[in-house]
Amino acid sequence: MSFNMDLVVQSFPLLILGAGITIQITAISVFLGLIIGMFVGIARISHIKPLSILAAIYTDFLRGTPLLVQIFLIYFALPIILDQRVDPFLAAITACGINSGAYIAEIFRAGIQAIDSGQMEAGRSLGMTWTQTMRYIIIPQAFKNIIPPLGNEFIALLKDSSLVSVIGFEELTRRGQLIIARTYGSLEIWLSVALIYLVMTLAISRLVAYMEKRLKTK
Amino acid sequence: MIDIKDLHKSFEDHEVLKGIDLHINPQEVVVIIGPSGSGKSTLLRCMNMLEVPTSGEVVVDGIELNGEANINKAREEIGMVFQRFNLFPHMTVLQNITLAPIKVRGMKKEDAEKIAQELLAQVGLSDKADAYPPQLSGGQQQRVAIARALAMQPKVMLFDEPTSALDPEMVKEVLDVMKDLANKGMTMAVVTHEMGFAREVGDRLLFVDDGQIIEQGPPKEVFENPREERTKLFFSKIL
Repeated sequence: MSFNMDLVVQSFPLLILGAGITIQITAISVFLGLIIGMFVGIARISHIKPLSILAAIYTDFLRGTPLLVQIFLIYFALPIILDQRVDPFLAAITACGINSGAYIAEIFRAGIQAIDSGQMEAGRSLGMTWTQTMRYIIIPQAFKNIIPPLGNEFIALLKDSSLVSVIGFEELTRRGQLIIARTYGSLEIWLSVALIYLVMTLAISRLVAYMEKRLKTK
Repeated sequence: MIDIKDLHKSFEDHEVLKGIDLHINPQEVVVIIGPSGSGKSTLLRCMNMLEVPTSGEVVVDGIELNGEANINKAREEIGMVFQRFNLFPHMTVLQNITLAPIKVRGMKKEDAEKIAQELLAQVGLSDKADAYPPQLSGGQQQRVAIARALAMQPKVMLFDEPTSALDPEMVKEVLDVMKDLANKGMTMAVVTHEMGFAREVGDRLLFVDDGQIIEQGPPKEVFENPREERTKLFFSKIL
């Protein structure tokens, strides 16, 4: 067995560029997922039946099918309906965004339901509407509770974003594949790729722990 | 001020209120007592539709409580104080008190804060405006909750066992604030186990058991000469 350290050093800048793109898709997807998840999560517990049913279908479908298949659906199947090519970047963030939206919706739902029902009653008894009470009283408190699971979702999505390499989008995993195709350095490159993922996920979990601590002491 | 006609409330197939008729006059203090599970809290919670009646009619300050818009409008005039305070833990005391006046009444922030400061002075907590609720004792939290309800300048105040979750030494400070409020002419409906308060502050005592009003009258009379067997039985257990 031989380990080519030079290859690691040479490839490193290219891999880091890929890691940057991985972070970029993850961040955009989580942001999208957060907005989708907030609305779907609230719709899920809404007393308006059609809304909660629609939200349930959304979360069931996206959590019950593989992300890889969802990526294929958006990148390969959707163009047939649209009769137009879909941009890989757009396909990547759409697939990851609506997928994580389903998971974040469940996080939101649990976070909202964990708030004492007396909070809603207090808001309503003051004459505030359901929406006002949600906005000013329930959701701000739920946000605090959901930071840890939201951090986990961010980490999960960062790792899952490697799946978009299959549509040729050049994030970290795809960069690794391309370098290996040129150099045959499977051992060196896959180890480097794994290490870079590890550093990113560790950094995120530390950041989340720090935020959690700061919010607790407030 | 409050008019209740033939009020029924069932949870699943259990009937909690079995036809309540009640009229509360302006400035009247009505104290509601009864064994646990008698339906007294449910009755109170029907007065602002936190509990939606199965049938019957509730009119508060001329507004019939049906339909979302009517209920929201009536709630602006009905303050409510809960057993477990239900303050908003993520907001300061001042924000707790000013939130509804600003968002519901459309009051300017400065005006709402001025009223809040006056109310905090009234309940003896001027120095706690910037504290967060978890930093306060139970008695202090409940006084803030009263101030929060008063900030909407309601015409009626509902109290749902306001001292039941308090340590004994904090009961008096809350009752004193309520007494002060009654003396100022507030219309009040109070569910409580504080018989001393009922006797001293109440204009009318209501004994509720098994979903019905069993007996009512001036507190002194009811306490000294209960007419109904069930009332006598209840008093024999608690006094």
